[in-house]
Amino acid sequence: MLTLSLILLPVVAATLLLLIKSPAVKTLALGAALVELALAAYAFATFKADAQMQFEFDYPWIAGAGIRFSGGIDGISVLLVLLTGLLTPLITLSAFGREYDRPSTFYSLILYMQAALMGVFTARDAFLFYLFFEAALIPVYFLAAMWGGEKRIAVTFKFFIYTIFGSLFMLVALVYLYYQTGVPGKPGVHSSAIVDFYNLNLTPAAQGWVFWAFFIAFAIKMPVFPFHTWQPDTYVESPTPATMLLSGIMLKMGVYGLIRFLLPIVPAGLETWGLLATTLSVTGIVYGSIIAIRQRDMKRLIAYSSFAHVGLMAAGVFSQTANGLQGALIQMLAHGINVVGLFFVAEIIFGRTNSRFLDQLGGITRTTPKLTVYFMILLLGSVALPLTNGFVGEFLLLNGVFAYNNWLGAVAGLTIILGAVYMLRMFQKSMFGPTSARTETFDDLSGAESWVLLPLAVMVFWIGIYPNSFLKVTEPAVLNLLQYVVK
Amino acid sequence: MNASYLPSDYLPVLIQLGLALGFIITTMIVTHSIGPKRKSQKKDDPFECGIPVEGDARTPISIKYFLIAILFVLFDVEVIFLYPWAVNFKGLGVTGFIEMVLFMGLLLAGFYYIIRKGVLKWE
Amino acid sequence: MLPIILLSVFGIVLLFMGFLKSKVLLLPATLVFILAALATTFMDWGKTYLYFQNMLLTNNLAILFTTIVLLSAFMVVALSNSFIEDEQAQPAEYYALLLFSLVGAIMMISFENLIMLFVGVEILSVAMYVLAGSDKHSPRSNEAALKYFLMGAFATGIMLFGIALLYGATGTFVVSGIKSYVYTNAYGVSLLLYMGIILLLIGMLFKVSAAPFHFWTPDVYDGTPGLFTAFMSTVVKTAGFAALFRVLSVSFVGVYSFWWGTLAALTCLTLLIGNVTAVYQTSFKRMMAYSSISHAGYLLIGLTALGTQTKQALVFYSLAYSLATISAFGVLLVVSRQRQDTNGVNENFDAFNGLARQNPLLGFVMAVSMLSLAGIPLTAGFWGKFMIFTTAADKGIYWILVFAVLMSTVGIYYYFRVIIAMYFREGAAEPVKVAPFYRYVLIAATILTLVLGLAPGLLEGLV
Repeated sequence: MLTLSLILLPVVAATLLLLIKSPAVKTLALGAALVELALAAYAFATFKADAQMQFEFDYPWIAGAGIRFSGGIDGISVLLVLLTGLLTPLITLSAFGREYDRPSTFYSLILYMQAALMGVFTARDAFLFYLFFEAALIPVYFLAAMWGGEKRIAVTFKFFIYTIFGSLFMLVALVYLYYQTGVPGKPGVHSSAIVDFYNLNLTPAAQGWVFWAFFIAFAIKMPVFPFHTWQPDTYVESPTPATMLLSGIMLKMGVYGLIRFLLPIVPAGLETWGLLATTLSVTGIVYGSIIAIRQRDMKRLIAYSSFAHVGLMAAGVFSQTANGLQGALIQMLAHGINVVGLFFVAEIIFGRTNSRFLDQLGGITRTTPKLTVYFMILLLGSVALPLTNGFVGEFLLLNGVFAYNNWLGAVAGLTIILGAVYMLRMFQKSMFGPTSARTETFDDLSGAESWVLLPLAVMVFWIGIYPNSFLKVTEPAVLNLLQYVVK
Repeated sequence: MNASYLPSDYLPVLIQLGLALGFIITTMIVTHSIGPKRKSQKKDDPFECGIPVEGDARTPISIKYFLIAILFVLFDVEVIFLYPWAVNFKGLGVTGFIEMVLFMGLLLAGFYYIIRKGVLKWE
Repeated sequence: MLPIILLSVFGIVLLFMGFLKSKVLLLPATLVFILAALATTFMDWGKTYLYFQNMLLTNNLAILFTTIVLLSAFMVVALSNSFIEDEQAQPAEYYALLLFSLVGAIMMISFENLIMLFVGVEILSVAMYVLAGSDKHSPRSNEAALKYFLMGAFATGIMLFGIALLYGATGTFVVSGIKSYVYTNAYGVSLLLYMGIILLLIGMLFKVSAAPFHFWTPDVYDGTPGLFTAFMSTVVKTAGFAALFRVLSVSFVGVYSFWWGTLAALTCLTLLIGNVTAVYQTSFKRMMAYSSISHAGYLLIGLTALGTQTKQALVFYSLAYSLATISAFGVLLVVSRQRQDTNGVNENFDAFNGLARQNPLLGFVMAVSMLSLAGIPLTAGFWGKFMIFTTAADKGIYWILVFAVLMSTVGIYYYFRVIIAMYFREGAAEPVKVAPFYRYVLIAATILTLVLGLAPGLLEGLV
């Protein structure tokens, strides 16, 4: 029931919000998101650290076809549920700084998005997963295209078509897998439970096809090089809350999909194509980092950094090691926190100076002690300094990639150096140096803004200093999953 | 009766077909080739009692003619059904009678509709 | 078979109601008549009956298709309030013709004898020819009627020839009789049978506007008054596919290997032409014409991969498609009439600019129907496509599945143009007004689309 209410609560709240026309709508949205956070935190706190599904629900959906409306939380999804629950109220709160046209639609779309994301991370039925996977796209598409920048229509349309194109291939793969399941002696009986897909005996050729169908779907979502062309423009053109949803949570759908589907279902496909996939991911790391160094637009820079980070997560997953998977899981949490914080900082700077271009900024730090501290914490988390959240994830991920292939590991290791270069460059260009006309009268953080950044900073240190409180939760599930990989 | 026919059984039909076609083709060719041909301006004119031709023959005709013609064809065709019914009147019995009354009733309803719509009004 | 009789009688009654001074009664009367026919349809639920000396056969599948057809007709009629206000229109005749065409549709759905199929197609088509030209003073409407009539008459001719050849091959018009012929002569089926199948298929594929017999569709759909276009693209298509399914699944299932390749090729061609050409349209109505071609393609997948799941897939898909199409046309009718440009009613994409702001309800209805037609999850259209795809997967024809998936990506492109116009572009400031009843119909269709999108299991196990 807990899982079901995690999905249903935002839906109900969002639908009610649509009916309200008063300006109090944002406070109500924040309230709903906080209740949801409480539920997610409760789920995390009471989660038993074993490989079992917990807080399950299970109802017939298309009963005759063996398709069920079922979900639950296990070690793979628990951190993502927590992440979604944690980030949504912060994203909602971060939107308070700017007046959005038609606020009730705006905030209800955020909550619908949260519901779909919760559904993706908790679905136990493959078609239910697909349903939420696609449904998550619609609210964020409307958010981006209604409140976005000048080129929003063309850019978001490209994003929508591109991602749905990928996921349709996943649908083909899911339908194929669904027809491979069955009960011996009962022709025509199939099941679409994800667990039943794990035990299929597919031929290596079939595994190759299914591998690519899944890979394209998830690679576009994350995105992995060379499927990333939609990403920078979409991140820049979207309003910042939508960008936060996209980068903070939605790209994790891709990584989660890799772990949930690709690894256990097509181990032989991964055996054949894994090197290519890892190479693509590692290429993305270097490529994204190098482009990020040359950016002058803060939002675009963070977008490319996100592209580089997610490449490392994908590479870690493809390494098929416990360290790689654990790293990917904790890095998803860490990256979500860092990237949302960084986008929020960019939004604060844009809100006061009306510019995101590094060459037009500078000297902000003179008037803003609080902002400087928070920005620095998030930035250090992002460049994986020890004792911050990024370090744990990147260390485990690189460990995994090294175990898989030394050369690729070495190249992937560049991420730490390159990441430090572009992040510190951004910090230095915007915060230090002489003030420009735009930054002379820069106000420090307001109360609401501090309340967004404070929890993020706390999380940066919590994960960095005591990662075990998260790692121990995911470990049994990861080890259990790896049994299917080496079968 | 023999229910199955061999292809050879159709031979008389084929001969008949050949004869009919042959007759027509032969006649057409023969008349065309042996008849005399004279052409003149007067001869190619449409004949109208010696009066010079005026205007186009394809003048628009009032739609009412077509309506009447169509309605005539419609009711005419329906009435054809009466013949086989009349021939089998005894065999079909009371059911057949009721069915025909129904049929005629529908027909009359249509007729009434036409009159009420004013389709048959000439002015 | 009460609905056929009832609808015929009601049609005549409507004709005479046209003589009344007031036209107020016509619309509610027609709605009541259709509901009455719908109610009597269910009297045969759960049983299989042969009617009229084995001419018609009703079973649950036929009843479900009849329900879809009558439901579509009900919604179309409910959206027709503009007739009453129009001086030129002849509402009594239009409604009567709609009811008569429903008789034809029901005959096409439940025929057991091929003669009945032919008669049903003719009844349906003749009524549609007239309705296509019902906007007497518009040259486009006249063109549509003439084109539809000429091409349609030609197609029914071919179909009749096919039926004659089938009779020549099998000695029977009865669907199940042809089936037993095919099974008893499994190794020496007459060549006439194959020719008959091909010709019959051509005739029927013309009616459902499958490529390469689709050339009439854009012009006819474009020229026909919007309401009747909605009727044409839902009722005619549903009935056509019901008929195709019956004849293929009963009579010709024994020679599946003969026709499935041809049908698969035509399916792909239909999908390709419908989807790709729709991208290039500037008129929404013409886009809907091509979209209807593409949906014929998706439905054909179900027939190509004829199997145990085909009927459920066809029923679900037809229902989802009909609901979405009628609500899309419903919104178009209001918008095009209130946003006129120099050429009269504006049926282009730009007529929808900014609609979501002026009338959020219409915007939402249209958005849901476009999402459903595009097959996006949470709408009935997604499950329709899903079930159609699973029929192909069940038969193991994966290449057609991949092709269909590619084509539905193309489909998203043109359906989303409407959503973009409505939500993200600025448009005329004056609000668009909708009559209350009209609004209820649109809301009902949208809710049904969403409910079926959330709980597709509702229709499970009916067939």
